[in-house]
Amino acid sequence: MPQDGVKLLLADDDSTIVDSLAPFLERAGFHVLLASDGASALDRIHSHHPNMIVLDVLMPRMDGREVLRRLRRENIWTPTILLTQVGESAERALALEEGADDYLNKPFDPHELLARIRAVMRRSRPGERSLSNAWMLEAGELRLDRRARRASLAGKALDLTPKALSVLEYLMTHPDEVVSRERLLNAVWGWEYPAGTRTVDTRMAELRRGLEDDPAEPRYIETIAGEGYRFMAEVLGQG
Amino acid sequence: MGVFKRPWLMLVMIFLPIAAGALLSVLLQTFGQPVPVLVFKMDIGTLLLFAGAFLTLIVAALYAGVQLQEREARTALQKALRDAERSRVRFLRRLDHEIKNPLTGLQAALTNLRESGSVQERERAAQNAVRAVERLSRLLADLRKLSDLSERPAERLPVDVPKLLEEMVDAAHSHPRYAGRTINLMVTRVPWNLPAVTGDRDLLGLAIYNLIDNALKFTAAGDSVEVRALEDGRAIIVEVADTGPGIAPDDLHSIFEELYRGANARGVEGSGLGLALTQRIVDLHGGQIAVRSHQSEPRGTIFTLRLPISGG
Repeated sequence: MPQDGVKLLLADDDSTIVDSLAPFLERAGFHVLLASDGASALDRIHSHHPNMIVLDVLMPRMDGREVLRRLRRENIWTPTILLTQVGESAERALALEEGADDYLNKPFDPHELLARIRAVMRRSRPGERSLSNAWMLEAGELRLDRRARRASLAGKALDLTPKALSVLEYLMTHPDEVVSRERLLNAVWGWEYPAGTRTVDTRMAELRRGLEDDPAEPRYIETIAGEGYRFMAEVLGQG
Repeated sequence: MGVFKRPWLMLVMIFLPIAAGALLSVLLQTFGQPVPVLVFKMDIGTLLLFAGAFLTLIVAALYAGVQLQEREARTALQKALRDAERSRVRFLRRLDHEIKNPLTGLQAALTNLRESGSVQERERAAQNAVRAVERLSRLLADLRKLSDLSERPAERLPVDVPKLLEEMVDAAHSHPRYAGRTINLMVTRVPWNLPAVTGDRDLLGLAIYNLIDNALKFTAAGDSVEVRALEDGRAIIVEVADTGPGIAPDDLHSIFEELYRGANARGVEGSGLGLALTQRIVDLHGGQIAVRSHQSEPRGTIFTLRLPISGG
């Protein structure tokens, strides 16, 4: 899928990363703009209106999180990937407030970054806030209140462990995307380990029981053999 | 001296003589005849001198006590700081070693990539570079787990240990490197099933997996690996045992240190952080970990975890 003409801003103060990632993204068809600190990233966004932003967090003059907060305060909803880890549950609400569309932890495979960029762009509607920025997510009878960390099905509260709830949150903010077990581990647990994929399956079974979702005829979560899971229902975001 | 560490006991010791004196004095004066024992006269100046000297003695004794305690605390703190500094230097030296090797491999692979003419050699160089990067990433990931464990709150929910053991044994089985290896899982079920432990299921899974992974890593196809679980009313005891070459006695007390590699473990794949992680997780659950190992027949190693039972 070539991305001809799509303007992408890549902001990172480490020249070895930028020097290798920029040509890679150019080869994938993006028109890549560069910034080496937060303040100049903000300037370039204002002057060049990129369609996609990839921000490192630790940068001189202004960190990536602050750049993103300022953009969102100005009602600029350009899809953005932060190059860091999503926080634990306590930090999750903060992560939601800072308004990133996805997170990717260093070190990463450039192909993974490309896949995330494509997925985020596919989900985004120009000028509108994305599901990642919504406090309340709805899919059919399922409601997820991300601020209160509560989920309900047809008005009845679901009794889920914090991990299962975070798995649901990740899937609902990435609907229609095949999410691998490794990616879920990285996003929800923060780290991978060889037996970790079993761990994901165990929480997924718990989640499905809660959602009364039959794996053979799923309404919400579909298993893609050998690849991972996909949230298949349409998700609407509020606030 | 335990007495000085318990303030209430000290108070009792200080006031016991005067209380006993006062009590006896009241009893004698109420019920008995006054018995003169010692009669002397003292002028007010001498009395004041004695009183002053007495007070000085008490204050000096108190001051000396406080000083002594502070000096002991300072010495203990200095020792802890010295130990921490030593272990930091040791850790950095080991880290340097763990990074040096994959980095050297990466450097060589990049040189081959740049200078080699044949497509096959360049392809091999690229594969080697990827392997070196994977090794560095694994090390980094394990280092992050260690630092995460000190900062993140762990889940506190009931964990079904037999089910978890089954899952971890299955996970080890399904690893292509261990295809065809047998792991015997034994869980006591009579007269009752094992009770739950309270904790973080995923972290406990990681701790147990690390032990099973180690047992498989250090044994060959003909060796046996057993995972056993029982309870003693207070804790669930999980043992991971193998008939591998065993751990040298000199290494035995250091294997839980971060990045420590025993004589057997040099050249074996792994970050050198697995057992340190396992110990940190077990500590986090209020449990204990121990190891026994023999290098002569019958040789092998047994790791024992004790995990307190919920409400036990």
